[in-house]
Amino acid sequence: MSETTIAKDMPPAVEVKNLSKHYGPVKALRNVDLTIAAGEYFVLLGPSGGGKTTLLRTIGGFHKPTEGEVLLHGQEMGHLPPDKRPTTMVFQAYALFPHMTVLQNVAYGLKVAGMDRRSSEEKAAAMMDVVGLSGFAERKPHELSGGQQQRVQLARALVLDRDILLLDEPLAALDAQLRKDMCLELKHLQEKVGITFIHVTHNQEEAMTVADRIALVADGNLVEQGKARDIYRAPVKKFTASFVGENNILSGKISNVNGVSCTVDVAGSQLVVAKRGQEVTHGQPVDLSIRSELVQLSRANGSNNSGDGHSILGSYDEAVYLGLTTSHLVRLPNGVEMTSRTISDAVDDLPTPGDPVRLHWQPEAIRLHTS
Amino acid sequence: MTDEYANPWLYRLKWLYMLLLVVTLMSPVLYVMYISFNANGFGARSYDFTLEWYRLVFSDTLLLNALRWTLTLAVVVTCITVPFAVLAAKYYKTAQNKLPVVFLLLAPLFVPPDILGSALLVYFKSLNASFIWLGDQLGTTIFDGWFRLSFFTAVVGLIIYTIPYAFIVVLITMGRYRTEQTEAARACGADGWRAFWDIEFPQIRAGVFSACSFCVILVFNEYTRTSLLKGGFDTFTTVLISQMLNTGMSPQSYAMSSMVAFTAIAIIGSIIVFTLIRTESLTRMARAKAEPVMSS
Repeated sequence: MSETTIAKDMPPAVEVKNLSKHYGPVKALRNVDLTIAAGEYFVLLGPSGGGKTTLLRTIGGFHKPTEGEVLLHGQEMGHLPPDKRPTTMVFQAYALFPHMTVLQNVAYGLKVAGMDRRSSEEKAAAMMDVVGLSGFAERKPHELSGGQQQRVQLARALVLDRDILLLDEPLAALDAQLRKDMCLELKHLQEKVGITFIHVTHNQEEAMTVADRIALVADGNLVEQGKARDIYRAPVKKFTASFVGENNILSGKISNVNGVSCTVDVAGSQLVVAKRGQEVTHGQPVDLSIRSELVQLSRANGSNNSGDGHSILGSYDEAVYLGLTTSHLVRLPNGVEMTSRTISDAVDDLPTPGDPVRLHWQPEAIRLHTS
Repeated sequence: MTDEYANPWLYRLKWLYMLLLVVTLMSPVLYVMYISFNANGFGARSYDFTLEWYRLVFSDTLLLNALRWTLTLAVVVTCITVPFAVLAAKYYKTAQNKLPVVFLLLAPLFVPPDILGSALLVYFKSLNASFIWLGDQLGTTIFDGWFRLSFFTAVVGLIIYTIPYAFIVVLITMGRYRTEQTEAARACGADGWRAFWDIEFPQIRAGVFSACSFCVILVFNEYTRTSLLKGGFDTFTTVLISQMLNTGMSPQSYAMSSMVAFTAIAIIGSIIVFTLIRTESLTRMARAKAEPVMSS
């Protein structure tokens, strides 16, 4: 989504303020604040049971907030049921009306809105064309594949011309290849129709493919939000680093603080890392993260000195061949396992298990996490 | 899935066993039907076909009145029980703790009919006496007869009797229903009632109609609770049983019994035939559309 497409004086499509949702003693959402601009493809990413679906369903009116506000286009709508909101929704599965044909499914919302039958069927048929379902009008949902069923759901939602589309794990029931294809289709569709998409998933690849921005939701909290690329390349929170991408997480203690950087003692090695505005003190326990594809592996050449602050020594464990890439697992002296990921054909002469090796990286590749 | 290695004779034996079981259970009913068309009545050596006994049933004012009361009871009980059963089944599906719900709704099944009937009789009599006393204290007769044995008390007794059956029948069809469909309808702009009527009801319709049929049959067949709670009218079954007890079975009694059996079999049979025809037609349609069409 281009930034210029968002009018500056336009209220955000969705604004969630201090939102909490409790089920008895269970706190499904805790004081969540979130703003989603009109026309944005926004993804709620997180582990199962983290609260992302609860957040989506609260925005859609399927749950009443325990506390806080839900504003849609600047208007408070937390008290309204789903049919009174400018939202519509695509569900994970089982949400098509089995006693209706595909055309009747797609036209249902138009019928409810009072549109005459001929116009609603024409509009529904046009939307079926958009999602690639022409020729399926008279079929019943059970006669369609999983991917086709999800397209019917999409058509049924988009035909209503509402400006916020909620997608609750819409691709979770599809096989891997279909999921990849549908991801791109969703992204292109959103660009075509230009409305706000809010997409819930636990699959980071899916999130990265479609999202303009991503919010990480876990344990009822909105952990971190930002542009998809930033979330991947520069996670601020340790949870984000551990959930997105294949990051090595190293725990240690601050041994030296020096201007814009600090030194962290990890398994006896002194690692230098930029503070990036975070305040740390001597002896404070912190975490470091570094993406596995940014870690390079070399033989230790008999030297035990980790030296430059941007490498660490360990013993080679094993190589895991993953097709395009190979993960090299290295055991550090404190027992923690680190991974270095390389293009499979790039390394011919692999160390044997138990060989001393050095893992090293560029200074800007490693990140400090205080929370 | 069929086991292609199974002994075909064993398969036939199972069918034969089921057939024998049904014939054994139904043979007394079939025999009563057979007698009801005999001009010479029960035990006669010769059999002459007649509809005379049925004509007599329909020319008997007492019986026609009883039939009218029975039908009215059946309609009123069905109209109250089935919507309640649908609501109860919907609540059951969403309830977190299902055990108390199912216990409360099925409890009347576990109480013998004469105990439940007599308990209700005592209850209504006490309630009636209390309301008359209250009226006396207030100097009014407005409360007299509220809980006197009447059509109302019979309806209450029969609702308590029929609810567990209706609940179970509706619940069976509702079990397959996915609540995501209601949510999808709401997301399409339908309010709660519209979502129920357009989306959920068509899918549980078979269960609702079966529950209606069940209620009608149960009201037609019920004797104990009805006879204890009915007040000043008779139903088909109470007339039939009192005739049997007072004067013994007459050809007319056989005709009445057969009519009740015919009604029940016709209703259940219609449901089965309708379901079979519908299933077959859906299967045929599905087969016709099975040819894959690739999306562009």
